[in-house]
Amino acid sequence: MADKLVGQNYIPVDLVAKVTGKARYAEDFRADGMLFTKLLVSPMPHARVRNIDMSAALAMPGVKAIITADDLPMLPNNAERALTNEPLYVGEPILAVAAVDELTAAEAIERILVDLEPLPFVVDPLQSLRPGGNNPRTNGNAWGAPPPNTPPGTPAPLETMKWTEQDFNDEDAGHLPMGKALEEWAFGDLEAGFTNAALVLDETFTVQSTGHHPMETRSAMAYWQNGKLYIHASTQSVAQTQPAIARWCGLEPSQVVLICEYTGGGFGSKGGGAVSMSIPAILSKKANAPVMMRISREEESFIGRARTNMSGRARIGFAKDGRITALDLFIVQDTGAYGPLGDHRSAGLAASLIYQPPAMRWRAVNMMTNTPPRTQQRSPGPMQANGIIEPVMSKAARQLGIDQVEIRSINSPSGKALFGPAGPTGQRPHITSAFIKEALARGAEQFNWPMRKARSGQRKGSKIRGVGVTVGPHGAGSIGWDSLMTIRPDGKLYVQSGVGNLGTHSLIDLARVAADELAMPWQKVEVIWGDTSKGLPWTCLSVGSQTTHAMTRANHAGANDAKRKLQEIAARDLGGSPDDYELGNERVYRRGAPGRGLTYAQAATRAIELGGKYDGHELPMDINPMTRGSATRLAGLGLMGVAKDNYPRDGVTYSFVIGFAEVEVDVETGHVTLVDYLGVGDVGTVVNPRSLLAQIKGGSCLGIAHALFQKSVVDPKYGHSLARRFHYSKPLTILDIPATMNASALDMADPETPVGARGVGEPPVGAGYGSVMNAISDALGDDIFRRAPVTADLILMSLEHGRPMHDPLRAHV
Amino acid sequence: MDILTWGRSPWGQQILTHVSWDLLWASLFAGVAFLIAHASYMVLSAHRKRKAEETDAMEAARTDLPPLIRRHGVGARVFHWVMATAMLTLLLTAFLPIVGVQFAWVTWHWIAGLVLTATIVFHIIHATFWLDFWSIWVGPKDIPELKAEILREFGHDVPGPKPGKYPLGNRLYHLGIVLAALSVVATGLFMMVRVRTPFYTRNPYLFSDSTWGVTYVTHGLAGVTLVGMVIAHVYFAIRPEKRWITKSMIFGFITRRQYLEHHDPDRWVVSEPPREKVI
Amino acid sequence: MAVIRDVMPAFELFQPASVSDAQALLKRYGGEAWLLAGGLDSFDWLKDRIKRPAAVIDLSGIADLKGIKPWGDGGLEIGAMTTLTEIVRHPVVRERYSILLEAAESAASPQIRNQGTVGGNVTQDTRCWYYRAGWSCYRAGGNICYADTPQAINREHAILEADRCVAVNPSDTAPALIALDAQMVIRTGAGEQVIAAEDYFVGPGTDITRMTVLKPGSLLTSIRIPGTWAASAEGSGGAGRVQFYFEKIRDRNVWDFALVSVASAMATTGTTIDRIRLVVNGVAARPLRLAAVEDLVRGKPRNEATAVIAGNLAIEGAQPLTFNGYKVPLMRNLVKRAIRGVEDVDWTS
Repeated sequence: MADKLVGQNYIPVDLVAKVTGKARYAEDFRADGMLFTKLLVSPMPHARVRNIDMSAALAMPGVKAIITADDLPMLPNNAERALTNEPLYVGEPILAVAAVDELTAAEAIERILVDLEPLPFVVDPLQSLRPGGNNPRTNGNAWGAPPPNTPPGTPAPLETMKWTEQDFNDEDAGHLPMGKALEEWAFGDLEAGFTNAALVLDETFTVQSTGHHPMETRSAMAYWQNGKLYIHASTQSVAQTQPAIARWCGLEPSQVVLICEYTGGGFGSKGGGAVSMSIPAILSKKANAPVMMRISREEESFIGRARTNMSGRARIGFAKDGRITALDLFIVQDTGAYGPLGDHRSAGLAASLIYQPPAMRWRAVNMMTNTPPRTQQRSPGPMQANGIIEPVMSKAARQLGIDQVEIRSINSPSGKALFGPAGPTGQRPHITSAFIKEALARGAEQFNWPMRKARSGQRKGSKIRGVGVTVGPHGAGSIGWDSLMTIRPDGKLYVQSGVGNLGTHSLIDLARVAADELAMPWQKVEVIWGDTSKGLPWTCLSVGSQTTHAMTRANHAGANDAKRKLQEIAARDLGGSPDDYELGNERVYRRGAPGRGLTYAQAATRAIELGGKYDGHELPMDINPMTRGSATRLAGLGLMGVAKDNYPRDGVTYSFVIGFAEVEVDVETGHVTLVDYLGVGDVGTVVNPRSLLAQIKGGSCLGIAHALFQKSVVDPKYGHSLARRFHYSKPLTILDIPATMNASALDMADPETPVGARGVGEPPVGAGYGSVMNAISDALGDDIFRRAPVTADLILMSLEHGRPMHDPLRAHV
Repeated sequence: MDILTWGRSPWGQQILTHVSWDLLWASLFAGVAFLIAHASYMVLSAHRKRKAEETDAMEAARTDLPPLIRRHGVGARVFHWVMATAMLTLLLTAFLPIVGVQFAWVTWHWIAGLVLTATIVFHIIHATFWLDFWSIWVGPKDIPELKAEILREFGHDVPGPKPGKYPLGNRLYHLGIVLAALSVVATGLFMMVRVRTPFYTRNPYLFSDSTWGVTYVTHGLAGVTLVGMVIAHVYFAIRPEKRWITKSMIFGFITRRQYLEHHDPDRWVVSEPPREKVI
Repeated sequence: MAVIRDVMPAFELFQPASVSDAQALLKRYGGEAWLLAGGLDSFDWLKDRIKRPAAVIDLSGIADLKGIKPWGDGGLEIGAMTTLTEIVRHPVVRERYSILLEAAESAASPQIRNQGTVGGNVTQDTRCWYYRAGWSCYRAGGNICYADTPQAINREHAILEADRCVAVNPSDTAPALIALDAQMVIRTGAGEQVIAAEDYFVGPGTDITRMTVLKPGSLLTSIRIPGTWAASAEGSGGAGRVQFYFEKIRDRNVWDFALVSVASAMATTGTTIDRIRLVVNGVAARPLRLAAVEDLVRGKPRNEATAVIAGNLAIEGAQPLTFNGYKVPLMRNLVKRAIRGVEDVDWTS
């Protein structure tokens, strides 16, 4: 095959609509008789609804319906619902009013009297761990370990965990207290590792929580027709959100039609949709009219999710040559009002992978607080691991006199490196591949590391430069999903994509793989996405950097299914065996006799005539019921490629991005300027170069913002989020990064997937976060900051007093 | 007119914040109205005064008394005027900004409040150990005097008790002042925790929202009450027929004649020399 | 009554075409009127339903309030409704009052500067997040400061002149205007009033619910900048060389309020400081002109030693809160920089 589409730049089909404003997002839809809803949210961080007097609101002429938690179906395991009678954080919705317009709905809400009984609350996980500390819920404050030998998704038990006064003895020295852990694993000989170490460091670091704040809030509009719910919403994953909505609304998935062609970002907060989608759905049924719910920015800061904040303590032993001998990691995680989440576990696994300790112990408590609920945020866990461990790595390199790139290289994984604790079989898991040493070497050269390193720590005027490097890891691919495509009598390839359109292009990229396998010119490929009524295959969630890996594999399989069917039809009509036929020029033809063949259009028509498996009337047994339903709907339209990804995989797929940063710190103002940045991806085969490099830069930007200023702030007295608006939470702006940011990728294929591609979305976040903070400490020295973001106040006070003056452990400041 | 102003806590609960400042105007109005009413009455009524001859006779009978009788010791007088200054400063710094005269008043206000507190503490100790503590108090035994005084006010020459050292009106006023001033001082001392002073770490969360609400309202009510009371007090101090009392608060003495004319020598026994009990 | 934000309630909207029409409306509605300039501050309050005026008077249709024209002896008069972008682009501002250009250009983001006006920028309310959340603090008419409590998070708050309230003034142009000795032209019911820019702002001791002297019924119409502080080369007009310093420290390089900002106008002969006006903002509820520092450095050489004593004097009496102690060295250093300047650094070597 001459020019493969994979590896080439292209303009995705959705781009023009996005940049011209023609793209319609959930909020842009209208329906006849549509009502608007506004939410009444809790002003208290923890309370019980004693009584609601809505009579004055219901008496208003424009008010059509009100729903409370009592109108929503109960969910298994007391999972979070869209409305509640026991709010667990300030801003948790209690009821929703549907009215003829938002003004009326808002006025109605002001006339509703909600009698709330305040309950004890806590906003800082360590405060809840103290003896006598408040619990965030009436029945506990922590998530326990998932019961052993239970399937994934089994809920963690709710526990009450209190530590002793002695556990807090070290607190004033800035060390994270380490009481009894609720989860723990270990491998190797930890004690021997520390005994044999030339240097042992024991450091505490606090990673802040940050709101996801996608540009598009989680607005949704819903209406009912003939017993079916039609909902326009914003999600990262279309196929996976349909069953979720059904569950939240007490429906069968087949009763839900989800339309989401465009999503204004998610960063993990809309992974499988948002539970708030059930509000317009249920309200619309009660009001018997379409209902639009526009979520405001302030509401988004309440219900829109945030990253788990973590305080971590890492004790690490190093040999003289910089090799880690032992790593002891303790994490206190805060999941906010709901959970449980696994960021703390991902952090431990990532640490064991990228620093390759021969012996490691990981312990954690997974706490709840009465703060807005968390969910996975772009690199959930591994980024926090970078934040906790990178300061120790940098300090060790300085104390041992080892180059920062070097110390990361000698501790980095390569090939099928082991990570984490041994599983039930006694074997430690391993990854599919890693080429980090190559990426570090290439990056050091591209970044001109030796030159920049030479001036790191130098002062000119009031300014000091510093350089930093960090390996950002993240899981990067799942397996076993389905693909669905048809070649129709018009000669075109129609690829059904169940991926969400959150801006990553994996939505379309997966069809490039199918087109390559079928030798189909790109202009003859149509991608169908964003509407569950159009027949979508069972697709992975667009989270965890898995989509490119997962769905290129699936579409590779689906396209090869279609290819085989083309060959079979050709052989059947033109003689010979299917293997005698090959594809090219939109034809399937006899090898060596291009004239002897069928056009794709002819083959599609033949497939319909033949029926059976060729046009989707007979389907493979191993595909998901969702794919089966969609394929059945599309049956008879043309030659169908439909398959589950059954390709083998040896290992767990991880991707890596190396961040190189140079900063300039003004010691008179504490201001940090990021002067230059390079991200180098070890992410397998490059499918879409332009998009990939944009992902590396964009993901790094999120980490850079976290290093420099992005944060969540909660007032501990009243439990209110203070950084509730865009401006206060300080996401990155275009002027906070260098005018030119650089990125590159190794383009070395992963051996365990047919396309060679791994995911890229998340690894750059930890790379940006760690490398910028490392550069700051390289400029100013150790012990300037023990928490992020590293803002002017931390820097100035530490420089002024010669030691960190900030409380490293208090959450949400 | 609202009596109280309400705010909303960050939890959406109604909390008391202040008395309504309308009450300031009400108190001012009440004070001035009383003043006008009383002045008119004094001008228009047949207010009975002791005839000069009667007093002449009493004076002749009591030549054993010194010509000048000490009514207030130096300490008591210094106390009174320091307290008066503090009180006026407090009222002016409190209420001028409310009526629109804006200046940085808070520091002046709490300093004056501390001065007032100190004078009150001094006064309590002084009155307890050096003065006739009970002479200023009002009790059931004063009912006959109340009746007699009221009748006298209406022009009747009636028998019955006459004032001791302190006339009943004076003592009733003192009682009002005691209640208002102790309320204002007690609440004010706690309210200093809400602002920056050298004495405490500022902690507006010392009490619950509702306790603070009651504190502010008490302070406000006592404060506006004091406005009316101070008007009345100043008014009496400058009335011609009361001026001898004012003078005694400056110089310490009243004349024997004033003593006999206005007081009941059985209830305020002046023994010579009077200085031994007065500092 | 439940609280809801982010839905603008109904009000009467007036769009007068003249200052006198606006004044008539102000008179008619009194305290119930709300003056709308660029709307960047106003719409927050209105959408959050915290300030609920009966009438909003949109000044954007009044031509007399817009534009920049010559005034007095080499000065400029800037209409209150002139956008920050217009100021940034004005050739005379660029040539003679570059400090105002820098200050205006440091405000917010390009989009906000296109809409935001200089009148609005100097008159805007504080950004204290407790106050802006609609909590009934002193500034909102209550009797508590939520930002100065033992638990409060007050990194952005005041280190000087706090009086119950610890909010700071957020304006970027205000310190530059004070440094230029600008005058504020105010139209009240009684006629026109002209006051010095530094007197335009009030602290909480004087009026805890207002940031400026503007009372209901008054209107800022223009800002006059005298020629006395126009930038000049040494020797022109017999006076020393006038030069400016402006610096705003913030977390992000765009769309962020100052943590601390400094503005100075300085006339020097040789290295001697002849005249100086020095202003700091972000440290108190009003921009602070540092007259004592000005007196101290006048006549002294412009060097590091003078800068050090100036910086130390500037922060005398500063009282930090739990999280804003850094503002003390930051203010000190910015004053130092305003006196001695900042070295240009070249890292190519």
